[in-house]
Amino acid sequence: MRRFTKKELAQYNGKDGAPAFIAYEGKVYDVSRSFLWQDGQHQVLHTAGVDLTASLDQAPHGADLLQRVPVIGMLDED
Amino acid sequence: MAKVAREMVEKAGVNVDQLLELLVKNAAAELTTYYYYTILRVNLIGLEGEGIKEIAEAARIEDRNHFEALVPRIYELGGKLPEDMKVFHDMSACPPASLPKDPTDIKAMLTVLVEAERCAVRGYTQICNMTAGKDHRTYDLSLAILNEEIQHESWFSEFLGEGPSGHFMRRGETSPFVRKFLE
Repeated sequence: MRRFTKKELAQYNGKDGAPAFIAYEGKVYDVSRSFLWQDGQHQVLHTAGVDLTASLDQAPHGADLLQRVPVIGMLDED
Repeated sequence: MAKVAREMVEKAGVNVDQLLELLVKNAAAELTTYYYYTILRVNLIGLEGEGIKEIAEAARIEDRNHFEALVPRIYELGGKLPEDMKVFHDMSACPPASLPKDPTDIKAMLTVLVEAERCAVRGYTQICNMTAGKDHRTYDLSLAILNEEIQHESWFSEFLGEGPSGHFMRRGETSPFVRKFLE
């Protein structure tokens, strides 16, 4: 499985036709085809290309919703 | 725009531009859901579907009421709706609740309905969390809508066999919580 640094992940922010990837607890998810991640934006408050592990604690949903999108890699720790 | 009302919300620490975008996206979700629920309702036919039609109708009308109730608050805070209906549809806070491939599959239709309601419950919970103790009017409105969305989720969840909702269908008028915001 492909490995990403945080810098590499940041390139996949869903802007200008780029794919939209997000990270959660070390896994990288492809949310490009999700209606809820259009243009790399999610519910106004979140953007793709970043590690959202901490943000998910504040979200009105759990990590179970991530099962709806494919895992495409692993995020390297700093 | 209600200038002082907006100032009070800003002063309380709410990012009003973010809040407005969320309100518009959720208004879009309500109106698109109202549209798609219309299509779902007319396909709720036959022995299985007929029993669900009335409750789907209540949810359909109440989602339209949510849209109607949200619009004045958006303009009070200095926001506006997109001029293009297609843009409005595509910015919805929830995925379109489209008819399943097999329109006679009542369980699939209920799954679409419950997913739409669950998305709405998440959306209004987020708005309530953002506005609690800061923007009293938006909080009051969002909480009223949230109350009805939770009931909708319970109704459809019960039909899917996930457990009892604990309440009954509407008797008479719709929107017991949101009614006070409808002018």
